Amino acid sequence: MANKQTSLGDRFAEITVVVVTIIALVAGWFYKSSIENASLPFSVDGISVEAPKGWLQAESSEDVLLRTTDINSTGFGATYTIRKIAITSEATTSEVAGLVTLEHARDLLAFRMLDQREVTVYGREAFEINYVFVESNPDLTHTELPSVVRGTDYVFLNGDHAVVVSFQADEKTYDLDLDRFHVFLQSLNF
Amino acid sequence: MSEAKAIHERKHVWRDEILLIVSLVVFVGIVYVLDGALQPVFTNTTLLLTGVFLALVPAAIWLIFFYLQDRAEPEPKGFVLGVFGLGALLAAAVGIPVVENLFRVSHWLRTDTMSTIVGGILVVGFTQEFLKYAAVRYSIYNSDEFDEPTDGVIYATAAGLGYATVLNINFVVSNGGVDLGAGIIRIAVVALAQAAFSGITGYFLGRAKFESEQIWWMPLGITLAAVFNGVFNWLQGVVTRPTITLSGATTNTWMGLVLAAVVALVTTGIILWLVRRNIKSLQAGN
Repeated sequence: MANKQTSLGDRFAEITVVVVTIIALVAGWFYKSSIENASLPFSVDGISVEAPKGWLQAESSEDVLLRTTDINSTGFGATYTIRKIAITSEATTSEVAGLVTLEHARDLLAFRMLDQREVTVYGREAFEINYVFVESNPDLTHTELPSVVRGTDYVFLNGDHAVVVSFQADEKTYDLDLDRFHVFLQSLNF
Repeated sequence: MSEAKAIHERKHVWRDEILLIVSLVVFVGIVYVLDGALQPVFTNTTLLLTGVFLALVPAAIWLIFFYLQDRAEPEPKGFVLGVFGLGALLAAAVGIPVVENLFRVSHWLRTDTMSTIVGGILVVGFTQEFLKYAAVRYSIYNSDEFDEPTDGVIYATAAGLGYATVLNINFVVSNGGVDLGAGIIRIAVVALAQAAFSGITGYFLGRAKFESEQIWWMPLGITLAAVFNGVFNWLQGVVTRPTITLSGATTNTWMGLVLAAVVALVTTGIILWLVRRNIKSLQAGN
């Protein structure tokens, strides 16, 4: 059988395969984004937010209004937390941030603060704290290595209370998960 | 290449495909029984090495059958091994990073039935099938050794088994070794499925080379293979879903192997029928 010479039609067919594959992957990317960014409205105590759909949501307790975790994450599951802390009317964001940092230092293993600064988050004044800690499952039979977790807290003042929005994720996936957190942060209303 | 060269069908190609399916099922059975009877104790290293060895078995079985039977008009051994290696290389360098790191499918693919099927086709299916197509199209395809339609199936199967081998090694290594019983079933399922989907692309490649097909012909082949790939992955998830009752949970990993074997047999049967029909038509044309 003779080998057919490569014709212009063959070239077009070859290019079409590449184009069809790229179109499929771009469509796949949009589809992935639509699933990852899917959300459910959450509202409690005057605070509303679009919480990620399909994440594990813990019941609110004490000052924690929302704690939701991506159950499909590898290592330490990406977690968003919203806390409402009562404050005096003279308190500043940096003072509340100092208090939050002290709590972290008390509660989290090998806690280290990386940096802190005043920022504007979607039009609101806030105080940003970046930190790192080690998450170790207390179960002694758990055979995985402890995870290094990166966290970012945003402290907002709202009258007689402060709203602290936290994002914690495995340091390996922190940057990849950050975009989704910004979608969450943008939807926050109080 | 001579115009007068006879168009014929390499019947052993189909025997190889069927022998691969049967041998893999038998091999899985033997490993499963031996694992249950002997209950070998492994260190982390030996478990990892055993897993990697088992991941190489499906490709080795196919290559052995292929070389034993491909004597009448043998394909150059280096070319078949080269395409196998290219399939493996593309899986390691492009396929796995794109699917797992860029698209992070483990985060969202199994959210629901729709996402499993649509994501499985658009992301996993198209990535894998395009790379296997590329392994053949941009290597052996323009060579004089690719001289009959059946060669498309042969080389695409080699690329598919190369891809499957790397997928399996990646699975074994990322889990630090696997339980032999469940691990060998998964290895066989991945190999059978990848070989079957590659067969589809191979059929389209074979015809594209020797006939004047329309511009949509090859994209249709890749799309069909991607659809089979995505739907198979969803079906596999359905049939292997653990059953939980009051008396405990049972896994259905064997059902995955049955499904893969049936899909591979049916796909091989359809491709065989299509290639035979195509060859008859070419013979009539000559």
